[in-house]
Amino acid sequence: MEFNLSTFVLEIINFLILIWILQRLFYKPLLNVIAKRKQSIYQSLADAKNLQQQAEQQRSLYENRQKLWEQEKQTSLIALELQLDAERVTQLNRLNTDLEQERQKAKVTLSRQQQEHQQQAEKQALKNGAKFASLLLQEAAGPELEGRLFILMLNNLATLPEVCKLSLTPLEINKTVAIKITSAFPLSLEMSQQLEQKLESLINNRLSFQYHQDVALIAGLRLDIGSWVLNANVKHELVGFAELDYDYN
Amino acid sequence: MESDFTFTLGPVEIGLSLITTWGIMLVLAIVAGLSTRRLEIIPGILQTSVESIVATIDEAITAVAPEHARQIMPFIATLWLFLIIANLVGLVPGLHSPTRDLSVTSALAVLVFFSVHWFGIKTLGLKSYLHHYLTPSPILLPFHIISEFTRTLALAIRLFGNMMSLEMAAMLILLVAGFLAPIPILMLHIIEALVQAYIFGMLALIYLAGAMQSQQLNSPE
Repeated sequence: MEFNLSTFVLEIINFLILIWILQRLFYKPLLNVIAKRKQSIYQSLADAKNLQQQAEQQRSLYENRQKLWEQEKQTSLIALELQLDAERVTQLNRLNTDLEQERQKAKVTLSRQQQEHQQQAEKQALKNGAKFASLLLQEAAGPELEGRLFILMLNNLATLPEVCKLSLTPLEINKTVAIKITSAFPLSLEMSQQLEQKLESLINNRLSFQYHQDVALIAGLRLDIGSWVLNANVKHELVGFAELDYDYN
Repeated sequence: MESDFTFTLGPVEIGLSLITTWGIMLVLAIVAGLSTRRLEIIPGILQTSVESIVATIDEAITAVAPEHARQIMPFIATLWLFLIIANLVGLVPGLHSPTRDLSVTSALAVLVFFSVHWFGIKTLGLKSYLHHYLTPSPILLPFHIISEFTRTLALAIRLFGNMMSLEMAAMLILLVAGFLAPIPILMLHIIEALVQAYIFGMLALIYLAGAMQSQQLNSPE
């Protein structure tokens, strides 16, 4: 337990030197590197915080943009629905119009078909009627009816208009006019003379008469004068009635 | 038990404690130089170890004197590192702890004594620093002065007494009981060496912090 002054003094000096050495070689570099690391960590944290803030801003921005997109989508959907409704209404109206037109066409077609059917039926009925009348008149026809129709022919010739009379006469004066007389029953001599006299009074040219019998006329007679045909028979009347009725319809 | 190895360089007498101290200084300087040769932001194992030591010491100092930690850190950290190695070096056969020498512990205690005043005056200014001896009452001035000397003396004697007694007890047990009997005492030596180093360094830290912060604690700021 001796106290040595040299050791005491040198120990003080040694310790001060040791402090200097360690401060220079140990504490300072280590504290600097720790400080740098802390600064790096703080910088990283600050960067991370900055990035986080940027990310938050981006997220907020994207959320807002997404909301806007949603709104635009809703608006577009509503507009599209309205457009679709309008288009649907337009198409429905057009379809209804077309349907109405088609319905009208069908109605007209049906009406026309009905009319045609009716006309056909009427025509057929008229034909049948003419046929039945023809059959009936064939049964009922006889010399009496022939005689009456002959009188009717004479009356018609008597009341023939002047224009017709002139047209019956050919341009050549000397030309013989051939007249074909067709009757359902044979004409008596008296009736033939009456008819020839009547015709000679109408036509100034020389006349030649040819007599024929055609039962299809049922009753009455038919005169073929050149291009002219004068009818006073039942068949012609029946056909005339049927055609007249058809023309009216 | 006491080594008689000494030699003189003129008027200066070089003893074993001084040589051991130089050895410790050399080891510390080499370790410090090698461990801090290539420092990286991402540390290796060695760098992590030395950084842990420095960071732990820095945290302990900051806990006591947060505003002046960086200022007093080299002194306190060197005290701790030197005392730990100096106290443990006695475990190496053929070597003795320098801290079992009263001259060494006195030198360290005197360094603490002057450091307290140096840092106190540097931080507070001479007038303010001297004023704290008059607080809370000028009557306490003699007790403050006595305290300054007695605590320095206590620092030196405490460390010297503990380390010398530990080595002496180990030596006596080895002489009396045989070869393996001092092992528990040697383990106790390790604990005691660490505790004494911690106590010395912590007391020095508290004295320094007290001197640097006493006026600040009393002032409204």
